[in-house]
Amino acid sequence: MNQENNSNPWICDLCQVPIKLAKVKVKYLDGNFEVELMQCPLCHQVFIDEALALGKMVEVEKGLEDK
Amino acid sequence: MDLDKLLKIGEECIHQEPPACTAICPIHMDIIGFIGEIEKGNFKKAYKLMEKKIPFHRIIGQICDHPCEKVCIRNKTGESINISELEKAVLAYGYVKPKKVWPIPKKKEKVAVIGGGLSALTVAMDLDKKGYQVTIFEKTNRIGGRLWDFVGGLLSEKELVEELDSFKKKEIKIEYQNFVNQEILVDFLKTYDAVYLGTGSWEEAITCDSLTFQVDDSSLFIGGQIANGNDSIIQSVSSARFAAMSMDRYISKVAIRDSRDRQGSFETLINQEIRSDKNVKRIEKNEKNYTQEEAIQEAKRCLKCQCKKCVDACSHLKKYETSPDAYIRQINHNERIILGTHYANEMINSCTLCGLCKEECFKDISLKDVIQETRESMVERGKMPLSAHDFALKDMAFSNSKQFSMVRKQPSKEESKDLFYYPLVSFSKYVQGLYKGTGKTDYLFYPGCQLPASFPDDIGEIYQYLVGHVKGDVGIYLGCCGAPADWAGQKQLMDESINKIKKVWEEMEFPTFILACSSCKRVFEKYCPEIQTISLWEIYEKEGLPKIKRIKQSKVLAIHDACGTRENNEIHESVRKIAKNLGYTLEEFEYNKNKTKCCGYGGLVYYANRDQANDFILDRTTETENDILVYCAMCKNLFVSGGKRTYHLLDLIYPKEGQDNGLKKMPSLSDRHHNRSKVKQGLLKEIWNEQQKEEEEPLYPLIISEDIVQKMDDRYILKEDIQQVINNAQESKKRFYNSEDDSFLASLRIDNVTYWVSYDERDGCIFLKNVYSHRMEIVEE
Repeated sequence: MNQENNSNPWICDLCQVPIKLAKVKVKYLDGNFEVELMQCPLCHQVFIDEALALGKMVEVEKGLEDK
Repeated sequence: MDLDKLLKIGEECIHQEPPACTAICPIHMDIIGFIGEIEKGNFKKAYKLMEKKIPFHRIIGQICDHPCEKVCIRNKTGESINISELEKAVLAYGYVKPKKVWPIPKKKEKVAVIGGGLSALTVAMDLDKKGYQVTIFEKTNRIGGRLWDFVGGLLSEKELVEELDSFKKKEIKIEYQNFVNQEILVDFLKTYDAVYLGTGSWEEAITCDSLTFQVDDSSLFIGGQIANGNDSIIQSVSSARFAAMSMDRYISKVAIRDSRDRQGSFETLINQEIRSDKNVKRIEKNEKNYTQEEAIQEAKRCLKCQCKKCVDACSHLKKYETSPDAYIRQINHNERIILGTHYANEMINSCTLCGLCKEECFKDISLKDVIQETRESMVERGKMPLSAHDFALKDMAFSNSKQFSMVRKQPSKEESKDLFYYPLVSFSKYVQGLYKGTGKTDYLFYPGCQLPASFPDDIGEIYQYLVGHVKGDVGIYLGCCGAPADWAGQKQLMDESINKIKKVWEEMEFPTFILACSSCKRVFEKYCPEIQTISLWEIYEKEGLPKIKRIKQSKVLAIHDACGTRENNEIHESVRKIAKNLGYTLEEFEYNKNKTKCCGYGGLVYYANRDQANDFILDRTTETENDILVYCAMCKNLFVSGGKRTYHLLDLIYPKEGQDNGLKKMPSLSDRHHNRSKVKQGLLKEIWNEQQKEEEEPLYPLIISEDIVQKMDDRYILKEDIQQVINNAQESKKRFYNSEDDSFLASLRIDNVTYWVSYDERDGCIFLKNVYSHRMEIVEE
């Protein structure tokens, strides 16, 4: 579920700093994972793009739902 | 869920039942498989099938009496498939040299076979294969018996000699000119482990068990003409084969009668219908045998009889390439999994629960009921995938919230007295209805949730029509009947929803519900049969249509019945009469009325598996060239989304000027919410004179393009959710900024979904660029 770091044009609007890859906890149903995602190093808001949300995330969600 | 009961239902399904030809064939030749190979031009593969099943296939293939042809379903409309000629063609074009089989080591047990005819040779061959030491006792100086009678007719001498020579190469001893009589037979029974008598006739009358071909409990077995009492070639072979099986079991001391049901000829349970009258005539041969091409054409006449009417009728069973028997086995497996993936979940949530399978099944197997029960079991065990029905259930909750739900009695005489003046009281049926008001609610108009969402402008008109035309007071009740909960297998939610409806019914002193939605009708019949209901369409038919200016029509429309009305023939008739009264000519679908198909919305398939819903839409809309007429809001919604011109009955009864209602795009999911609220507020304002709060202008007005609206519908994202995301982002500035195109990306977790919106901010407006969501939760620390 990792995101590419190169040439990401997004910055955190609240803190006005570039976002960076960081280990983030995600959970769904009985599943808890730690994955590397883009995140604001100050306020910690996590950035999810469309490809990730509709690709890998849906896949993992469906997998957990069918467990 | 009672899985044993489930499996019993599955066993009832006769999808795997052999066709009439294979069933009657005493050795159960796979005739459909055989013909299928010929059809593809695979004569060698067809030959292999003959070789596998038929002893002495090169002989039998030419002289068999073919009981299969007598029961061929094609006889009903013409001539049976010419199976005998097809077998001859396969022998001519598909011959493959037999594989060399290494003989297995011989056992010590010895078997005597008396007679050298077809049945005796079959027994000798089968038992030789099993490793017994076999000796044939033939009274003449050649084997073959009555097979020689066919030489010069169906068989050539060369063919018979070749076959018998190859038989002689086996490790079977043949004693020629060795006549056996009763005395010698008695002696044989003492010296051999088992004896087969296949002499065609015998000096004493002799009977055997019809299943095992054993004489009493002795080591003597009989077959061929003395056992069968006729000269059928194929029965001679089959009786020998069954006797050989019994002899093997007798010698090995295993249960001789076990697992032999349906041995030999039986009648198939398949109730095959012939739908097309094509290919009635047999292909005639011009030479001794069919040419390959003639054989292929003849093979194509085969109907491949199989019980699969339910499959033929159902887009769901077709998509998953399954049938009730296999489906039930998959459910059984899915229900029993403790650790591992429930692979059948998606399939189980892709059935529209329309019930056509049961209508098509002459054994009344209702896969719909099985799947309904399965979904309930999944919910109960916490195994129902959340995402399948979440949106629909939230939509139901919206409909039953204050935003839409309400109950009102007919406005009282006192409240309406301002209307009671000439000319209104003499010309307006509605005002007359109010004037006659008694205060007792005889009827409660219950339009459901999707009709007001789709036709918000008509609900008030319909209500006024009802007050003016129905004898007795008419109240109104807005809400959702609970169909989504029922389809989702949410029993508890369903009960709560029904109890709420029952409570209103009791408080209103038991009025008759006027229903406009076929799904409501089905839910009411299933969960509260004590509530009397009548369909809006029956009232239009009985009381006459509202007097509205309509342009006279002479169009032909294909009438699509809603699957929720399957059991309600009165509704089918009312709808047809209304359309005909309006001047339309109706075309009937092949699957109509009690056998109608679902549009693809039923069972919440539209939300759980959009591809499957699209299959249903395509299947139905391509069945006619004409525009379609429906009377369920969701049928119209789905057919129009599939690009098919579709009219709802309300489009005809309440035509809108300057609009082509046939292709009118139906409201988006967001508009459906909005429309329901609008209906409630409109009714309260116009009819009950209750002042409504004006809708507040949003602080951050959204500008949403057509593309984004479509995306929102495809991704089940509502405008109200987006508005929340934007409000939160604009206030908190917790969002991301992209300097390349000066846009923002913001998210918000609402309930169990995280919504993401990217947007531009211009001139005080929010221009949406993209929307998406996920259910997985990010734990921000």
